[in-house]
Amino acid sequence: MTTKTKETIFFVALGVPTVICLLAFFWVLYLLSSGIGTLNWTLLTTSALKGGIFEMIVGTIYLLLGAAGVAGPIGVLAAVYLVEYAPSGRITRIIDQAINNLAGVPSIVIGLFGYTFFSRQLGLGVSLAAGWLTLSLMMLPIVIRGTEEALKMVPPSFKEAALALGTTKWRAISATSIPAAAPGIVTSVILGIARVAGETAAILFTSCVLITRGLPKSPFEPVMALAYNLFVQIVALGEPAQRVFGTALVLFLIVASFAIVAIILRTYYRRRQPWLR
Amino acid sequence: MRIKEQPIEAVLFLCASFSIIILLLMLLFVAREGALALSKFGANFIIGQIWDTNANLYGAFPLIYSSLMVALGALTIAIPLGLGTSIFIAEILPFSLRDPIKAIIELLASIPSVIYGFIGIIFLAPLIASVFGLFSGATALTASIVLAIMSVPTIVGVSGEIISAVPKDYKEASFALGATKWQTIRNVVLPISKSGMLAGVMLGFGRAVGETVAVLMVAGNVARIPMPFYNVLAPVYPITSVIAMQMGEAAVGSLEYSALFGLGLILFIFTFIVNTLADVVVRRERKTGGAKK
Repeated sequence: MTTKTKETIFFVALGVPTVICLLAFFWVLYLLSSGIGTLNWTLLTTSALKGGIFEMIVGTIYLLLGAAGVAGPIGVLAAVYLVEYAPSGRITRIIDQAINNLAGVPSIVIGLFGYTFFSRQLGLGVSLAAGWLTLSLMMLPIVIRGTEEALKMVPPSFKEAALALGTTKWRAISATSIPAAAPGIVTSVILGIARVAGETAAILFTSCVLITRGLPKSPFEPVMALAYNLFVQIVALGEPAQRVFGTALVLFLIVASFAIVAIILRTYYRRRQPWLR
Repeated sequence: MRIKEQPIEAVLFLCASFSIIILLLMLLFVAREGALALSKFGANFIIGQIWDTNANLYGAFPLIYSSLMVALGALTIAIPLGLGTSIFIAEILPFSLRDPIKAIIELLASIPSVIYGFIGIIFLAPLIASVFGLFSGATALTASIVLAIMSVPTIVGVSGEIISAVPKDYKEASFALGATKWQTIRNVVLPISKSGMLAGVMLGFGRAVGETVAVLMVAGNVARIPMPFYNVLAPVYPITSVIAMQMGEAAVGSLEYSALFGLGLILFIFTFIVNTLADVVVRRERKTGGAKK
């Protein structure tokens, strides 16, 4: 066998897994798309009390925005510290390791912790607020890593120019580095939202109930969410499959649109950093 | 107005240390709730063979075994898929196709686990049942297949990054010596990035052990070690599923409640160790110059 044929064989062998992954993706898309017939405006805007999924959609959005509101600022400030301030030593290494470990904690354990700490210890009960805090723990590592990357791409000369004008370190960073990294920061928050948008295990005990009377009126009330309802419908209730398909499709569309926006933004800004030209 | 610098730095440091604080709190609180069951059963909590809520007996061995069996099965499928895909994307695929394919793999990662579980139970389980002539398709194998698809993006993400970081000079030097593309991949790229691949696989393993919702729907949820022990067509009951299924009915403070937190503690410690090892592998890789630019 010539080297050339051998090479072709190896390349094909490596291509097969890639093709399988792509097929898996399109298979999932195809299966979900069979729910498209159940989707209509009335289903989306009708209250769950009358068989719609309105509160679940809004509840999901509430959960995500609140969690982003908690994880965003903390994550960005943490990344600023790690990139701009942290001395490269033992403590920084431990922090770095802890962020990776937090990212690896199974979501069900985060849910258990959220229940015992936020819901019970802090007295938030099964509520929107407990869900925000619990989900923010899953978002945090993604926001930190994304913001770090964005900050590292800002040329140090920006900050140095500000420092040369006599400002303090924080003024220099907040006036130059952070604004320059802003698109990357926003992208990382959106990516964080996309990662937790379909999360079920973490909100299972902390913030969701099967049915509420209308939308939550305060952060201390429980909330309905697409992922949770889908989970209960499949596991416990044995709902007619058609409505389940519709709910699954809506959830997928929400998650996918966050993910696609994040991916497009990221590709766009990686290519067009004005100062890299 | 001049803002004082020191308090700002303190706030930033606090935010950065937040992850450490949360991990410590997690360990503390989950362990505190699990203490009752752990002290009552001692080592039997881990090696005990019977998990029976009605008899108030909590021996987690069948559950631990289920988790490992399902996750290892998933890895058996996901390793060739994930590593093959990451090499193919980073080294063979034409440049213009790389980003779109990577984006699709990333989308695969963002499909919610509840949807994977749903598809698993509606389509995959009946398929498995009819292929193997089983009464129910909710088996360890079904769970492994679903988990494999879910952990491929993790493996591709980590190992793909390491493979792309192999310095161009090395590859060019190999080409200059007359090596073909495949010879270069095998003799230059793979040896350099092998520990990165290992790290990717370990992270994928951690992900697979910790996955809850999808597994719960397709694993069958029977708390017994399969007969024979390698029978992948038997139903199993992984740790994560037990927690998710039983938390709702366990009264706060009861032995069952505590046992579920005990399971959570096992899971937390196990994934912590796996992730830390993966990190050590990646860090050593960076130090020894594999990915040095």
